[in-house]
Amino acid sequence: MGKTVMVVDDSTSLRQVVAIALRGAGYEVIEASDGKDALGKLNGSKIHLIISDVNMPNMDGITMVREVKKMASYKFTPIIMLTTEAEEGKKMAGKEAGAKAWIVKPFQPEQMLAAVAKLVLP
Amino acid sequence: MTIYTAAALKERMQSLFATCQGIDLDLAAVTEFDSAGLQLLLLAKREATDAGKELRLLNHSHAVLEVLELCNLAAYFGDPVVLTPSRETSRNIGS
Amino acid sequence: MDMEQVLQVFLAEARDLLEAMENGLLCLEATPDDEEAINAVFRAAHTIKGSAGLFGLDEIVAFTHVVENVLDRVRDREVTMDNDLAALLLRCRDHITRLLDMAEEGVRPDAETQAMGAELHAALQLYLAADAAPAGGVAVVAEPPLSQEPGAGGPVASDTWHISLRFGADVLRNGMDPLSFLRYLNHLGEVVYVTTLFDGLPPATQMEPESCYLGFEIELRSDADKESIANVFEFVQDDCLIRILPPHSRLGELIALLHELPESDHKVGELLVQSGALTRRELEQALALQQVSVGEQGARIGEILVEQGAVHHEVVNAALEKQRQGRDSKGRENCFIRIQADKLDQLINLVGELVTLGDGVNLHAQRLEDELLFESASVLTRLVSDIRDSALVLRMVPIGETFNRFRRVVRDVGQELQKDIALVINGAETELDKSVIEKIGDPLMHLLRNAMDHGIEAAEARRAQGKPGGGTVSLNAYHDSGSIVIEVADDGAGINTGRVRAKALERGLIQADQPLTQQEICNLVFEPGFSTAEQVTNLSGRGVGMDVVRRNIEALRGTVTMQSGEGAGTTARIRLPLTLAIIDAFQMGIGDSSYVVPLEAVVECVELDEPMRHEAHGNDYIQLRDDVLPLLRLRDIFAIRGKQPSLEYVVVVQFGNRRAGLVVDRLFGEFQAVIKPVAKLFGTLRGIGGTTILGSGEVALILDVAALVQRITVRDAAARAPVLAVQRAVSAG
Repeated sequence: MGKTVMVVDDSTSLRQVVAIALRGAGYEVIEASDGKDALGKLNGSKIHLIISDVNMPNMDGITMVREVKKMASYKFTPIIMLTTEAEEGKKMAGKEAGAKAWIVKPFQPEQMLAAVAKLVLP
Repeated sequence: MTIYTAAALKERMQSLFATCQGIDLDLAAVTEFDSAGLQLLLLAKREATDAGKELRLLNHSHAVLEVLELCNLAAYFGDPVVLTPSRETSRNIGS
Repeated sequence: MDMEQVLQVFLAEARDLLEAMENGLLCLEATPDDEEAINAVFRAAHTIKGSAGLFGLDEIVAFTHVVENVLDRVRDREVTMDNDLAALLLRCRDHITRLLDMAEEGVRPDAETQAMGAELHAALQLYLAADAAPAGGVAVVAEPPLSQEPGAGGPVASDTWHISLRFGADVLRNGMDPLSFLRYLNHLGEVVYVTTLFDGLPPATQMEPESCYLGFEIELRSDADKESIANVFEFVQDDCLIRILPPHSRLGELIALLHELPESDHKVGELLVQSGALTRRELEQALALQQVSVGEQGARIGEILVEQGAVHHEVVNAALEKQRQGRDSKGRENCFIRIQADKLDQLINLVGELVTLGDGVNLHAQRLEDELLFESASVLTRLVSDIRDSALVLRMVPIGETFNRFRRVVRDVGQELQKDIALVINGAETELDKSVIEKIGDPLMHLLRNAMDHGIEAAEARRAQGKPGGGTVSLNAYHDSGSIVIEVADDGAGINTGRVRAKALERGLIQADQPLTQQEICNLVFEPGFSTAEQVTNLSGRGVGMDVVRRNIEALRGTVTMQSGEGAGTTARIRLPLTLAIIDAFQMGIGDSSYVVPLEAVVECVELDEPMRHEAHGNDYIQLRDDVLPLLRLRDIFAIRGKQPSLEYVVVVQFGNRRAGLVVDRLFGEFQAVIKPVAKLFGTLRGIGGTTILGSGEVALILDVAALVQRITVRDAAARAPVLAVQRAVSAG
């Protein structure tokens, strides 16, 4: 079993491209469409890494990070935030909440894979 | 042995140290081993040495061996590393 | 999830990018130093390359990589953009398109395509070979500058990078495992030696198992530059001490110095100054510290300064690049989502059903005479029709993208014809139904080529008339009373009505004494088999006539007319309905079935009483006022059983300039019909254009008026055939 990565983004195509890239690299992928969906899917199974967008409907990425940090089984899960350069404030807020890694949009799949591999190899 | 279990493990190890002269740690069942786990082993080894006790690591699982190799620490612990058949199997399943 | 689907997403994205690339390049032909255009073109190539790699489209990656390299040099102003380069890059863009097409079809590039790729690569190499090797640029930056004076230390045979890491206490809590960075280093090169430092581990009672106390000294053999190595630790740079020393002689000495330092004494500033290795985050700090210690460490500080310069250079570049990317993507990313067209169609379908159901509810409420229910039902109906309108708007796409695609056509055709022609676009933001946009491209292309070929005169002829040598074609789009108007206009010679008339006469399209307005004469060019070009060029004269243009537009329920004044240019005006999904319809009944035709096709309705029926009996015509009207008995065409009523109706429909009478049992009147695509079952049935659902829940067939009228033409031709055969026999004899 490869390591499991959860991809949280409300854009289906971005999520799919990321998921495809991750699966191609040997990871297992769980997809979630927003923060709320993601929290619902953190239901006991091992997640090695979370990649999450910041701006999402229902629950934004930063709120989600704060919630994850409260969950005993997931609070030490590395979280990569997807931000744009203009969202410097969001990046800081994300870091404060506990997501210390980030990828600046737009990113290439290989940039994303590199960022993931630094934290968790497949 | 990961950060999720480190606090509980440390407590157990400390209580063992308080009562025992020599300690054998069987690592066969360690499927996940991260920096927090490594630190615990390093701490145990140092505490044992300082107290003149003996710490032996036994049946290193593949996960443990990989980290000790990565960090070049096998020699520090000085335990004979036995290549169990499970290592090959776990390599096939893992990574 | 289906890889194939995501590939489709990629292909669509790539096509958009190629279009952006084309527009950028065309823009660069006009203004070679347009920085935004250069960036757009670079980004397009860059993104395509990146995503293509994800799908294993190695040919695209390999080809685009070189294109990207050249564009990178253009961006850095190492290569100057000019017309030749823009033209070459346009060809490269076409080549990528071809590779994409092949990828879509799942075929490997054939020999011809490969040869083309090689040829383009060779041409691109000229721009790369101009001076310094492109890959070297980065490596040079990473290496310590040459200015290191001899005497500061003899060369030591150390060819590995030295990395010192002291992780912050919170690293583990943040989900970062130092071990994973160590593992990752193996991707950049070979980790030759690792020393794990755990002197920081406090006594057991004070040790917090979730805090990190680890440090590492690593020897790494790698070709990567310093930036890449530093990037490995990007996510922990905030709270960790990271020093990266290049594989270089005297820096080896620094390492030795560092090793002598007691672990406990580590002070960030000292380490930075002494090691001379900086990461971008620590730059400012280092600069400040550097001034403090400048006096005592003279020579070495000199090195540090230069080294810092190098780092600084990288930092600025990287920062600028990221800023640029961030800015560019932001606007688009936040405004649009890409959805599959069939999902939208499904929504529209559902909304259509909702409309129908709402009508049904209304009907029942009326019948029940329940006032509250009736009130709710009418509010429901209004909301549903609002939803329907909003849903239809989702299908609306601005025509600008289609228009922009023609920039290239105008450029290429202009060159081919050796005419200097500019394209002017107005109303690019005008929105049309997506399905119309897809089908309007070909007719527009044809009209545009026609305008350039036949409309715009050669430069000398233009100057002789006092016009500027360069011609202009314009594409205009605007809304006009519930329809969309698209114009293709040129400032050329205009239509020579005398010649058109003569030609039409010669072709038997008109009678010699037929009175025709100027407008009517112009429109003759849309008649089948008409061509006034004295010289058939390989552009407009390729057999596809203007009649096909008209047919395509009429298939979209649109019309096209020509307007021209001699010497004052020509304008082809296309008028299209706003949407194809909903039409104003006219409902008729035969037996128990209902049929629907678009209201605009209906000219009038007349009763078919006994005397008229008698008159029509045997031949399929009736005399309607002064004209002969061919009849189509829908009862026969759709093989409907049941008794023919004593009174029937004729619905006179028109398509183009042909009319026909549809014989039906009953007339129901007008309503708004939501068109649903025709089911497979009816696919082969000519004369059916789709289906719609009536308020009663009943399905009605929408008649394809064009096909029905065509049926009459065929019938007439069949009837006349023997006569023609006789005539031929006579003339042959």
